[in-house]
Amino acid sequence: MPTVTRWFVRSALVWFLLALAAGVLLANGMSARVPGTSLILPYPTYLHLLTVGWLTNLIFGVAFWMFPRYTAEHPRGSDRLAWVAYTGLNAGLVLRLIGEPAQMSGGAAATLLVASAGLQLLGAWAFVLNTWPRVKVK
Amino acid sequence: MPLLSTLLVRTALGWLAAAALMGALLLAGKAVPMPEAVFQAFPLHAEAMLVGWMVQLAMGVAYWILPKYPRLPERGPAAPIWAAWLLLNGGVLLAGLGRSMGAGDGTVLAGRVAELLAAAAFALAAWPRVKAFGR
Repeated sequence: MPTVTRWFVRSALVWFLLALAAGVLLANGMSARVPGTSLILPYPTYLHLLTVGWLTNLIFGVAFWMFPRYTAEHPRGSDRLAWVAYTGLNAGLVLRLIGEPAQMSGGAAATLLVASAGLQLLGAWAFVLNTWPRVKVK
Repeated sequence: MPLLSTLLVRTALGWLAAAALMGALLLAGKAVPMPEAVFQAFPLHAEAMLVGWMVQLAMGVAYWILPKYPRLPERGPAAPIWAAWLLLNGGVLLAGLGRSMGAGDGTVLAGRVAELLAAAAFALAAWPRVKAFGR
């Protein structure tokens, strides 16, 4: 399994746990106070921990590993793009996990949310760019 | 990878690229002013991400990976998969784009029915390929 795939899949597992823990907190409503803090966790954060953190990381990691070879010299396309996808997706999600509850709690989080949006978009597009040429008829 | 898998997976990648852009604008819109059209795109973002990207990717990979028949066509008839591709993407457009553009409930219902029919067509084709080795 390539190094970046291990990072994708292990990160996916961590996000999986965090997402379901958030689901426990949100069992009785669309937002909930994070215990021991003044932060409010909103439902969209939970949903994105699950769909971006768990599902998308797992998909990206396994696709990078298992999809058809690009060329004999570069069987998985560009390692650099794969790392951009990993970093963008996960750094963006971390910023969202901090920014959305901060904003819900009345804090200033505009920069965090804009940076989160940009990083996740960069991650997704890097994955598409690297994967597209590997999706080909054999 | 068979032709129909490349069609499904590349369409899924297209939806991912588009839905990620919509999602980024929606998230940034929580922090900075955005045109109203950005917020109206929320139903399309959700439909494209869940059905257009994730569901369609799973279909494309399953069609490629599931056990093949020992005879031709080795992945079974192509018609149900073509139908599933058309119905699924038509469904995402009707349900997601329709809701985002303010279309009535009938349009969204038609989209969701198209997605259901896509699932049925795909399941019909995939079912007999789910089998033990050597059968």
